[in-house]
Amino acid sequence: MPAIRTHASRQKKPPAGFDDISDDLEIFAIKMKDAQNTPTNNVPKHQAQWPIFQIAHQRSRYVYELYYEKEAISRQLYEWLLKNGYADAMLIAKWKKQGYEKLCCLRCIQTKETNFQSTCICRVPKAQLKDEQDVQCVSCGCRGCASSD
Amino acid sequence: MLKSTYKPSGNVPPPLPPGWTEHKAPTGHTYYYNEETKESTYTRPGAQAPPPPPAPSDPHASFFQYSTIPQLSDPAAANAFLAQYDPARQRQADSFTHHGRGGHRGFDDRRDRPRPQPIDKPKSKVAIPGCEPWILVYTKYGRRFAYNPAKNASYWRIPEKVMKGVLELDINSIKEKAGARMGDSSKAEEPDSQSKDDAVQDGKTKEQEQEQELGSDYEEVEVTDDEDEEREDGDGGDDDEHPSKRQRTEEPTDDMPVEFNEDDIAYQLQAMGEEYGLDPGEYDDGNPEAWPEGAEGLPFSEEDARETFKDLLNDHGINPYSPWEKLIEDGRIIEDPRYTVLGTMKARRDVWEEWSRARIQVLKEQRAREEKKDPKIPYLALLQQKASPKLYWPEFRRKYKKEPAMRDTSLSDRDREKWYREHIARLRLPPDQLKKDLAALLREIPPRELHNQSLLENLPSRLLADLRYISLDPKVRDPLIEAYVRTLGPPPEAGEAAEGEETEAARKAREARRKREKALEERERAVAEEKRRQRRQIEHGRAALREEEREIERAMQVGKKGLQSQLLAEREKRRQEEGGALEEELGDGKDK
Repeated sequence: MPAIRTHASRQKKPPAGFDDISDDLEIFAIKMKDAQNTPTNNVPKHQAQWPIFQIAHQRSRYVYELYYEKEAISRQLYEWLLKNGYADAMLIAKWKKQGYEKLCCLRCIQTKETNFQSTCICRVPKAQLKDEQDVQCVSCGCRGCASSD
Repeated sequence: MLKSTYKPSGNVPPPLPPGWTEHKAPTGHTYYYNEETKESTYTRPGAQAPPPPPAPSDPHASFFQYSTIPQLSDPAAANAFLAQYDPARQRQADSFTHHGRGGHRGFDDRRDRPRPQPIDKPKSKVAIPGCEPWILVYTKYGRRFAYNPAKNASYWRIPEKVMKGVLELDINSIKEKAGARMGDSSKAEEPDSQSKDDAVQDGKTKEQEQEQELGSDYEEVEVTDDEDEEREDGDGGDDDEHPSKRQRTEEPTDDMPVEFNEDDIAYQLQAMGEEYGLDPGEYDDGNPEAWPEGAEGLPFSEEDARETFKDLLNDHGINPYSPWEKLIEDGRIIEDPRYTVLGTMKARRDVWEEWSRARIQVLKEQRAREEKKDPKIPYLALLQQKASPKLYWPEFRRKYKKEPAMRDTSLSDRDREKWYREHIARLRLPPDQLKKDLAALLREIPPRELHNQSLLENLPSRLLADLRYISLDPKVRDPLIEAYVRTLGPPPEAGEAAEGEETEAARKAREARRKREKALEERERAVAEEKRRQRRQIEHGRAALREEEREIERAMQVGKKGLQSQLLAEREKRRQEEGGALEEELGDGKDK
């Protein structure tokens, strides 16, 4: 009979340094919970999930910057955060690549999901857009995430 | 600054006094309620409140103001303004100041305009030939406007498409009058520029007379917003309608021609500066070489700006781990004047990033130093305060689970329990035994950590993190430790030097900061001065613009004769000059 995996055994306690960022992460968690609980009755269907995407992006960016740019947290803590779902590891993996430094969400570079096998409008640099149009992409409400912007 | 540029307009009711709130009754009436006095009323309580202070005179405000002035398309507003326009007075004043057309008429004569403002009323109307629905309406005061009954619109400024018809009308009326009584112009309808051009040929005297009568009709109407502006500039103080609109500080004098050139303005500025007790460097009189030494102030470099912004972040106790968005959303730092030392959000963010990186490093180092401080110490302190033989471990844990020492993740529960049990066991020992144990513990600590200068508040962590230290009651324990410390020798030398260095570094940092703050002050003063200069330039530019507009207007008054009339006027002028020269010569001859 396999060992029963209890709640406690799965949740390892966070590495040192978590206390410094736990307040901000909690703020993000509260924001996320609020966004999830707001009714979407009078919101267009495609916009219903925009706030969720945006908060997830912000939180991932926060963790990413703490580890890669400010070097404020240890590798153990960073990995613990990724493992516990505080940041999106796949998104962070894209940010490390040239040309994707500001990518808003993974759906926006998923060419297979679009009619003409292209990326989202928010990936187009502002300079190449015709007549200064104000775009907001369908998947996450991004207003432009090209690296040159 | 990120302050709203919104200014409540005049027709917005005054703000409610504090304590009052505005509500809507189910019937739709607005009523006001005072929470303190439990009083409610339909009449607005703010009516007795003092009027809001006049708008601050910053150049942007004045710009907005001027851009919104031409409400003269609205006849009611134009009426109110033009009603003060007294033809008789105008005539009189013009006869004094009229040397050639245009110039700066209308500045000074308006100053002594009568205050009461009778209401102008339409008196007669004439259909404009060629533009059918349009009617030209003459008012009681001899002014006129175009009125379109089809659209129910009226304009003081006669629209261009109607202009032709009006011109025709004028020419006709003048011809009529000329036919009726030749040469008599004392009571005539104001001739337009074209008739004037004719009059030039008739004779000089007549022309002058005509010109003294009144400016041409077109001018009177078309100049209106220009005049309005001038009026406000010149005598904003003495009309009741726009008491808060006064922007200009230079009041034109009554008897002087009101031409403002650079010298005048420079002179006035100097006078103002002296009045306010400013240094020449602060108001920039145009020749920086002449300033006294040191008037330019300390330089405020880019580096200083960055450092100042970092000071701001330090002072507000910003958490360096927090994201930038949170910092901006909180908005606490935005209120600080130092927030604007950096011009762009990008620069601010860069500096914040740099600061937070450095700050986190500092915190890490501090923590590494404090790492020697055991997490056990706060826990043991808690035990000393709260633990008692009456509480079992599970009870104790449940009771104090909110305490930070109990929540600290670096200690395991098992250790906590062990220490708790040991502590409880030691509490049952006789006090003599406990004292002996404490003495043994004190003797174990090397003299580098414990010496005759160490204080009770600053005991070494090795001592604090020991169960033997907490098992005695502080009242008994502290005198014991103090007595023991007094018997010890002085500390070894090494520690002293390091401390001295630290204070030296702190002093240097403090000094640098003081310098930066001084530089910031200087810069703020410089910015204020720059603002003042810009305002002055704007005013100057506006004066030049008005002058140009007037010139253009004069140039526009070319009649049908076109170039010919211009040339005639030119010739006339030359003849006059020659005549003047001749007279002078004659005078010279007489003198001789």
